[in-house]
Amino acid sequence: MIRRLLSATRQSARGVWDDIKASTDASLLGVMRFVGLLYGPIDRRLQIDQAFRKALQYRLPSYVGWRHAPGGVTYLLFMVLVVTGVLLAVFYRPSVEEAYPSIQHIVSERPFGWLIRDVHHWAANLIVIALLAHMARVFFEAAYKPPRETNWLLGILLLGVVLAFGSTGYLLPWDQWSYWIVTEVMNAVGHWPVVGTTLADRLMGDVIVSGATLSRFFALHVIVLPWVAFVLLGYHFTLVRRRGIAPPMTQPEERPRWRKSGLFSPEDESNDGIPFFPNHLLRSFIVGTLTLTVTVTLAILWPRTVAPPADPYSLPDRLVSTWVPVDVSLALIRLVGPWGLGAFFVLGVSLILIPLVDRGPERQLRKRPVVAAVGLSFFLGYVVLFAAGRIIGSVPPSADLRQPEAAELTVPTRPGVPLPEPGLPEIPDDGSGGGAR
Amino acid sequence: MRCVSWACGIAGVLLGAAAPAQAHALQQEPAVSDSTYGCTICHADKRRAFSQGVHAERDIRCERCHGGDPSAIEVAPAHEGRFLGTPTKLETVRLCSECHADPDQMRQFGLSADQLAEFRTSRHGQLLLEARNDDAPTCTDCHDAHLIRRTADARSEAHPTNIPSTCATCHEDAALMERYGIPTDQLERYRAGAHGIAVFEERNFAAPTCIGCHGSHAALPPRTREVTDVCGHCHQTLAHDFYAGPHGAAARRQALPGCLACHSNHGTERIAFDAIADLCASCHGEESAMSTLGRALQEEILRAEEELHLAAEAIEEMAASGRPVEDERFRYVAALTAFQQFAATQHSLDIEHAEELGRQVRSNTGVIRATAEAHAEERWEHRLLLIPIWFLALSAVAFAAFKLRELRLG
Repeated sequence: MIRRLLSATRQSARGVWDDIKASTDASLLGVMRFVGLLYGPIDRRLQIDQAFRKALQYRLPSYVGWRHAPGGVTYLLFMVLVVTGVLLAVFYRPSVEEAYPSIQHIVSERPFGWLIRDVHHWAANLIVIALLAHMARVFFEAAYKPPRETNWLLGILLLGVVLAFGSTGYLLPWDQWSYWIVTEVMNAVGHWPVVGTTLADRLMGDVIVSGATLSRFFALHVIVLPWVAFVLLGYHFTLVRRRGIAPPMTQPEERPRWRKSGLFSPEDESNDGIPFFPNHLLRSFIVGTLTLTVTVTLAILWPRTVAPPADPYSLPDRLVSTWVPVDVSLALIRLVGPWGLGAFFVLGVSLILIPLVDRGPERQLRKRPVVAAVGLSFFLGYVVLFAAGRIIGSVPPSADLRQPEAAELTVPTRPGVPLPEPGLPEIPDDGSGGGAR
Repeated sequence: MRCVSWACGIAGVLLGAAAPAQAHALQQEPAVSDSTYGCTICHADKRRAFSQGVHAERDIRCERCHGGDPSAIEVAPAHEGRFLGTPTKLETVRLCSECHADPDQMRQFGLSADQLAEFRTSRHGQLLLEARNDDAPTCTDCHDAHLIRRTADARSEAHPTNIPSTCATCHEDAALMERYGIPTDQLERYRAGAHGIAVFEERNFAAPTCIGCHGSHAALPPRTREVTDVCGHCHQTLAHDFYAGPHGAAARRQALPGCLACHSNHGTERIAFDAIADLCASCHGEESAMSTLGRALQEEILRAEEELHLAAEAIEEMAASGRPVEDERFRYVAALTAFQQFAATQHSLDIEHAEELGRQVRSNTGVIRATAEAHAEERWEHRLLLIPIWFLALSAVAFAAFKLRELRLG
């Protein structure tokens, strides 16, 4: 009786599953490809499960290996940031009054809130490193040359998006470090020629970093930038599929096997290379697991300090940068001046132009010295500035912010009787402070 | 001669007409810019200074003090009659007193009329009025003769931030002070002391300047038996505690110079916590029971201070980890309030009270530190998560690597 019932259930379940398979168009798998989860072309004539299996068996060129991991790591970290970011957004409140207490609530009262927040923070750091590593690989292997120049452009735009994500996210904790570092960077942006003042005003929405700035940065961070990032990523992945992965410098470029339309046809199949599943997926799994473990470990061992709440009336004694590009920016601002930040920004943007200049078939690094020099100055500059930024990182806000006129605005904080609020009151030098003062 | 006078007249008219816009903006235009007013033809500099002062606002003119005929535009007729050019020091006192010692005239401005009476009692007044000694200052040595401003005006010589330097004009003059055996380091010591820091750095005008302890017009150093009351004028609770203790009784008998037994007058040093016992021993001797009491007091205070520092560190640590610390801050303030009352026991020398305060401090800081320790432990336990995470990760990686190798070989 029971056995019959079970088999009937099984039969009808299979029937439902078959119906779903038969009625689901295989081109839905294109979505997975668009977000970078599937590699091969999709055979749309097949049922969805068969098309999926076929896509998994797609063979990648044999030269695709560990070198190509940073790109995948960047994407994985992006997804980590999306997931942890959504979880944080559940409890975070983007207002001057509530931002700081909501961070305290997240890290001290929500179960594993501290872990989510610190993983978000560390992933934001690691994604910059992974992205630059990926970019350096593409750059020095000359993978930006035709026919892949559009993807190089998209990559640079994605770099901009990641940096914008971090810059806007940096303010959200609304503590002294984030407040004054954003102030200092905005101050430097305001010094840029022609566009500086307007740009800084539009971004801040006020004459100082204030609630208006917080709202703007929050909207950019959680609404605008994710959409831009997903669209750019989709194009980035699709173009990787269409144009193929660039061979190493020593190997000649293969003829693109894909049709221009991107649709699959049986004659496009090749039997050389390594299958995506299981070989490539296993490698991705190893890299992904290690990335996640390292991120979580960093988050557990070195949680980001919650600095005192933001106070526009008092400069902190100590500023600690906790995001890689912030170190770079501070180094540029303090060692070179506001122009330094602008100049480095222009150098970064100028990388977009490289495929326009460097179109020849030469792929060996020593045969394209100008490009190598520009790239080296960018990547090495980044590393050197990061190191410099770490060294000067814990210095109080720049002299620019400590100019007398700025300081005078903050004078009357102590009207006679020293009240203990809001920070810790100082211990008087001796017991005689108790009398009438 | 006539030409020169005319030239002066024209210049005076022009100056009068083009009177500094700045002064106009600040104050009501005083009557002395009247072009028919003779004094300003020659004394343009005085006009400018006087017109910015408080007397010009009240329509008081040159002749009120100097006499003469202001309607004249030549020197000789202008200086005729009851004319007084530069008054002597004594004459100055008389001139100012004509109005300022008259309560009927001063009432409308809410000013007291006791300056002359006070001046008579002061050392300055005694020297000038009785001994006719011109070393002593007259009114215009402290207040500018013509540019007299309200004391609330930061430019006034009598504004709190300017009083010390006004007094120091003479009291830093070593040659002058030597004649009277008065030291000249008061300003320097005052600046470095608690009161000077409060006035100059913290802009706390409730803190005393020279006149706070010595009086202004009745300037005299407090006598030995007065010292405690002079300090106690502001430090009321400390004076109360002081009188409640054994030192207070000694001060009443004039066996002790009040506060000055431990603190200095112009420097007003605070006694460092770790210097209390030594200070006791400096009078009572190392072995005395009083020194033992001093040591006990010092230890109680130092122990409470250490507790407060540790609690502050604990709070900062918790705050840095993102834990809300309102409760702990409240406890800290409670502990600090108890701690600050040690000042009372330092003056009353009541060791039982000190011990009670120490207990109050420790009961609060103890709770803070216990909370912080529990919190730190909890955070340390987060690290234990790393064990399963790395175990799982390494197993998964090893498995995948093994599988990859198998695939490659196969």
